[in-house]
Amino acid sequence: MSETIQPVVDRALEAYERLAELGEAVEDEWSYVNDLAGAWRERLSEVGAQRGAQSTPDGASVAVDRAIAEIDLITDPHRAIDWLSTFPQIVLLALGELP
Amino acid sequence: MRFQDAARDARAVVYAGIQADPLVARAAGLLAAATLGQRILARAVMNGETTDADGWRATFPSLFGATATDATDATERAHSEAILAASLAVADRGEQVRSQFRGAIVEELAARLLGRRVTASTVKRERRILFDGVRAEIHPYDVTVERESAAEAYDCKWGARGINADVLHQLDDARTHAADEDERLTVALVVFDARLSCTVRLGAQTAPHEGTAIVTLESLDALAGEPPRPSG
Repeated sequence: MSETIQPVVDRALEAYERLAELGEAVEDEWSYVNDLAGAWRERLSEVGAQRGAQSTPDGASVAVDRAIAEIDLITDPHRAIDWLSTFPQIVLLALGELP
Repeated sequence: MRFQDAARDARAVVYAGIQADPLVARAAGLLAAATLGQRILARAVMNGETTDADGWRATFPSLFGATATDATDATERAHSEAILAASLAVADRGEQVRSQFRGAIVEELAARLLGRRVTASTVKRERRILFDGVRAEIHPYDVTVERESAAEAYDCKWGARGINADVLHQLDDARTHAADEDERLTVALVVFDARLSCTVRLGAQTAPHEGTAIVTLESLDALAGEPPRPSG
């Protein structure tokens, strides 16, 4: 029995917070980092709100955990900013959503 | 309005070497025929910390997983594998070089998609646009389409963060100078990133961009259909 979508979204959002905190270290981009993170957080949360009780598509839990592991390796704040856009796209794709 | 090759300074010569690398053509060719999911895969791998192919396959189950079972999916899976291999080859180049490769790939991708719509010989790279009585911009446009009464100028960015005041001013200035000469010049930014990220980035920009079209990961294929239009 596969996991439901809500806990997967929750794990993704927790990891995303860590990524956003790292990106905030680039002072000139502080506003962009927060605006960007806010927009994608809202998009991911929408999926949780609408489909949270549904089962995840095949491989989605592993995919999201793998993506979380990838962003947890990032130490460069500039790289983190790039991934603030890339990570949610991967999560949405894994969950069968269009970014 | 007239077009001119950019000056070949030392930086341009080095970058020309990157642009001419067969890996750029290989990746751009694959991405020109890619789905949105495959383009996100390329973006992730080329940006990635790790170069473990199996790890990336697990990260994109809709491209590589058990759901890819029928004959159509087998073809798509082979294409995903080719994109993964090319993206890993870019990632293997090291941080500074891969950044240049990524930029060159987006430019080549844009040029290839445009070449599906217009005569290939009208698609040019690294060109300046000159206007009477206006000092020429130092930075060339990444891609231009040079046709009588229907010219187009593109700047290409790997990510939404590349959208900045300088590039928006340059594109808008070119468009307005062309209009001053009663010429039509379509100007656009091609960004290998999600529309949402580009919208957020643009929302904080005060430089004029109402007349500049934004082509994102989701709308890349439209370059092959008709000249892009500003969203308003």
